[in-house]
Amino acid sequence: MERVGVFICHCGSNIGAVVDCARVAESVKDYPGVAFSTDYKYMCSEPGQEMIQNAIREHNLNRVVVASCSPRMHEKTFRACVAKAGLNEYMFEMANIREHCSWVHAGRNEEATEKAIDLVKMAISKVCNNEVLMKGHAPVTKRALVVGGGIAGIQCALDIANNGYQVDILERTPSIGGKMSQIDKTFPTIDCSACILTPKMVEASSHPNIKLITFAELEKVDGYVGNFEVTIRSKARSVDMSKCTGCGTCMTKCPGKADDEFNMNLRKRTAIYTPFPQAIPNKPVIDRESCLKFKSRKEGKDVCGVCAKLCPAGAIDYEQQDELFTERYGAIVMATGYEQFDHSIYGEYGYGKYPDVISGLHFERLVNASGPTQGHIVRPSDHKEPKTVVMVKCVGSRDPEHGKSYCSRTCCMYTAKQATMIRDHCPDTKVYVFYMDVRTPGKLYDEFYNRTREEYGVEYIRGRVSKIYQDGETLRVKGEDTLLGRQIEIDADMVILANAMIPNPDSERMAQIVGIGYDKDGWFTESHPKLGPVETHTAGVFLAGACQGPKDIPDSVAQAGAAAVKVCALLSKDQLETEPTVSKVDNKLCSGCGLCVPVCPYKAISLETIQERVAGKTIERQVANINGSLCQGCGACTVTCRSGAANLKHFTNAQILAEVDALCQTIL
Amino acid sequence: MSNAFVYNFDQVQNEMRAMAKELLESGEATMVIGWEKGALPYQSTPVMIRSAEDVDKLIWDAYCQQNLSTYLIDYIYTDEKVAIFAKGCDTRAYNRLIQDNRIKAEKCIVIGVPCPGMKNAREAARLPENAEVPMANACKECRYPNPVVFDKRVGTDVTAWCTERDFSDVEAIEAMPADDKYAFWQSQYTKCIRCYACRNICPACNCTSCIFDQSASGWCSKDINASENQFYGVTRAFHVAGRCIECGQCEMVCPSEVPIMLMNKKFIKDIDSLFGAHEAGLDTNTPAPLSHFSVSDPEEFM
Amino acid sequence: MSDNSVKTANDVAENFEPKILVFACNWCTYAGADLAGTSRLQYPPNVRILRVPCSCRVNPQFVIRAFQRGIDGVLVAGCHPGDCHYTTGNYYTRRRFLLINRMMEYMGIDPKRFHTRWISGAEGPKFQQVVTEMIEEVRAIGPNRKLRDDMKVTVNTDDIVASVEADTKVVADNV
Repeated sequence: MERVGVFICHCGSNIGAVVDCARVAESVKDYPGVAFSTDYKYMCSEPGQEMIQNAIREHNLNRVVVASCSPRMHEKTFRACVAKAGLNEYMFEMANIREHCSWVHAGRNEEATEKAIDLVKMAISKVCNNEVLMKGHAPVTKRALVVGGGIAGIQCALDIANNGYQVDILERTPSIGGKMSQIDKTFPTIDCSACILTPKMVEASSHPNIKLITFAELEKVDGYVGNFEVTIRSKARSVDMSKCTGCGTCMTKCPGKADDEFNMNLRKRTAIYTPFPQAIPNKPVIDRESCLKFKSRKEGKDVCGVCAKLCPAGAIDYEQQDELFTERYGAIVMATGYEQFDHSIYGEYGYGKYPDVISGLHFERLVNASGPTQGHIVRPSDHKEPKTVVMVKCVGSRDPEHGKSYCSRTCCMYTAKQATMIRDHCPDTKVYVFYMDVRTPGKLYDEFYNRTREEYGVEYIRGRVSKIYQDGETLRVKGEDTLLGRQIEIDADMVILANAMIPNPDSERMAQIVGIGYDKDGWFTESHPKLGPVETHTAGVFLAGACQGPKDIPDSVAQAGAAAVKVCALLSKDQLETEPTVSKVDNKLCSGCGLCVPVCPYKAISLETIQERVAGKTIERQVANINGSLCQGCGACTVTCRSGAANLKHFTNAQILAEVDALCQTIL
Repeated sequence: MSNAFVYNFDQVQNEMRAMAKELLESGEATMVIGWEKGALPYQSTPVMIRSAEDVDKLIWDAYCQQNLSTYLIDYIYTDEKVAIFAKGCDTRAYNRLIQDNRIKAEKCIVIGVPCPGMKNAREAARLPENAEVPMANACKECRYPNPVVFDKRVGTDVTAWCTERDFSDVEAIEAMPADDKYAFWQSQYTKCIRCYACRNICPACNCTSCIFDQSASGWCSKDINASENQFYGVTRAFHVAGRCIECGQCEMVCPSEVPIMLMNKKFIKDIDSLFGAHEAGLDTNTPAPLSHFSVSDPEEFM
Repeated sequence: MSDNSVKTANDVAENFEPKILVFACNWCTYAGADLAGTSRLQYPPNVRILRVPCSCRVNPQFVIRAFQRGIDGVLVAGCHPGDCHYTTGNYYTRRRFLLINRMMEYMGIDPKRFHTRWISGAEGPKFQQVVTEMIEEVRAIGPNRKLRDDMKVTVNTDDIVASVEADTKVVADNV
């Protein structure tokens, strides 16, 4: 038997000046289920709450409706209030007659009062269908996983580890370091990238709380905040990490050759290789695609084996296989970084066919002392020093038609940096920069840009390049100077394109594995663009660095620290409280069609086999089963379910239908 | 369409009987579901045969429209191994049931029967005895007359006589003014007696417990009036949206001749144009359009 | 059209005030409506907000039910695609309501009576604007007389009886 108490709040004059609260209380006193109704000046005040608690006891109420402000404001307050009086906190509903009524219908007292009565009746009808619900508790695994070993991942792991928690870094390539390890100098200070990154890499590898899992990929993520179960694929390195000493002898005689991706394919590397000299772990892997032994095995032969013969430690293991293993984590940080946009879609830049039209990252390798040219700025085609260099910004960025609609944020600064570096290395070389806008919001960024123009004499031309074509040894660059309104033609020896940043090509698949959102471009979606920049909508999964959107190194590092704090706050708890407002399946009604399984954003639904007695026989059949710890209570499954077997607690079909009916019963 | 009827029913019928006999005698199947001749020339009704001696009851003619796949649900908890004869649409229904986890492939033997298109039994009842009977509505638009899945098969493949669905009937309603549309549907749904024959025959309506049988749930009342009937009509169409295999059985069994496929085809048309072409029941892997989404789905709600 | 024809908008009461049900997702639209409140953005008092966790919780059957019970208009509103608190909920809302809105129109319900909109927690003014426009539109077309169960358009069983009798006769003749 429902005995609902209804309490109408005046909120001083906030509600009371517009809504006739006494009339609202009076008009619902005989509404089905209502045992008591009253109004009061401030329901949330101490005396107001006492009034509710006394009424619960005096009138033996088992359900409460408070009509006042938004539940987003005071639902917690009143739930705690009714709980103190012995009611289950979910036997409570709020009617929002302030934000949704008195404040938006000032001066229309009669209609606002009618509306308030409707809203209160809806709440009463709903609360009559409420059920007792209990919060759950789940333990927390005090270990974090950072996916991606670039600067964001390394920094985040260090911050977590320094707070005393165990953390694993999962890196897809053979070494941590990420894009920053490919970059020569960093803006706006022009300090050497490796000089500031390498110590961090060493610190991460030697930290007692950090474990590096390199040359491995995320395979599957099960579980939920505090209790993720992560399956990791450790790719076959063909080198036994426990035996290898990292001496490098194996690489000296390797006849296999492949494009060196670390050096942007500007030179070749061996088939057994470490990506760069400062790699961590500094132990090689065999690239099976270019290894003569593995290639010959495909043809039924078995040749070479030079590296195994050379290795003094006997660490080469050609028979190694990919291995899957599962680890438990309390929190996950995604730090999967970015890739460079491929400019070969642009006909005006030569479809990527001209060897001397290179991208920004190519230039970083060209200018790096340990790069393919020992740091000499030369043209890839003939290794001559370029006398005229044209740089083009916004290649792929801010081009919704062919590229990406967003600004990649870093290109203005790295173009300025690279321009100054060219002028430093080759003082006789002229540098032109074609730009749409110059965007330099960052500490000392605009000053740097101004120096680039004023002190380094780099010529900035506002306009787009319409065509680049090869004319003998030179690249003819045609464009427009929109400030002077004239066509420009420059004979360049080299063109450097400031390519956009794009998410890791695998980002969408990874988002699906982890269960987080991503936008149309594939960047991971934060939980709130302003107030939740490192959280995701999946509790326990956080974002660091450029995987969330284009970012430079300082921003990535800052965000990594922020994500680390969120992780530590989570791991510092022994138990997490879980909301009971989750979906559940009525086995009687469920046919086991499984349509709800793919709809669930949290992978909380699976089919399980149950036993049933049918016509005197025990049979087995499948029904949907919802993991209450994973379910976040969105209700997507409930609409997919034709038979109404899946229902969302606290927002059940019966509750919503009751509200609809209550609202409509006054319509004539 | 005409040459589709240059098709030797008798020969296929002989093959069907031989197949049924072999399955039952060898014990490979404990029961064979096919069609037998009904009381009227235009009635061919389902028959369950358990003994090889009875196989001559089986017939195959132009009125074997009824889909037999849904009978398989009744035998999932028995020890029977059931063989069914299945036309193209029946095999799509079979895939529907497999995908919906309502039957188990290992308990069924599907005997594919290429189908030349069935005749419209309802028209046959109205026409003079020797008149030419038109093809059943759903069959006219059939693009899969040959079984899309089978364990065994009889007959030889026929050439599909239709390559594209005909949405002109749906478009005709779409073109009406709102009040006329409403009047049309109201006139149709006031005929509905909520016998649920459409639901019962539908291979996509295979829930163990239909919401329209859960009167305590608050979803629906047992009242038979235009409002409740239209709620039933839209809801059933929505429940089979993207899952309907277009066999047209719902419309065929409706005693009130409500044009139910007009509702189903509206969803089919919109799904195809909004989310890309979809054919339900061609396999068991393609997800139903409403069980997934694309980030680039059309945006109208900004 | 039969004698069972429903009343149409022609007999609208003079001072008709529509009643409109808004299904608002808790995280965006409900918050957007709260923001309209805290910003004191005024709109006509014809809307009633029903809070759901996510727009994907809104079963189209709820919408039809509201029309059956006589509501004049229904608005389903949630977070913008990509902003869903539950990551993907509103993508399902979009698919479902792209279809069901077309079906409602196909059934002859004036599309002005049902809308789906994305209104974020920051879009108090948009909430105000969307509901104000919708109220004006529905006010202009008058009270909902379609799909309503209190209209009690009953089923005429005479035809069915007749057709069954005819069938029985044919069977009798043939046997």
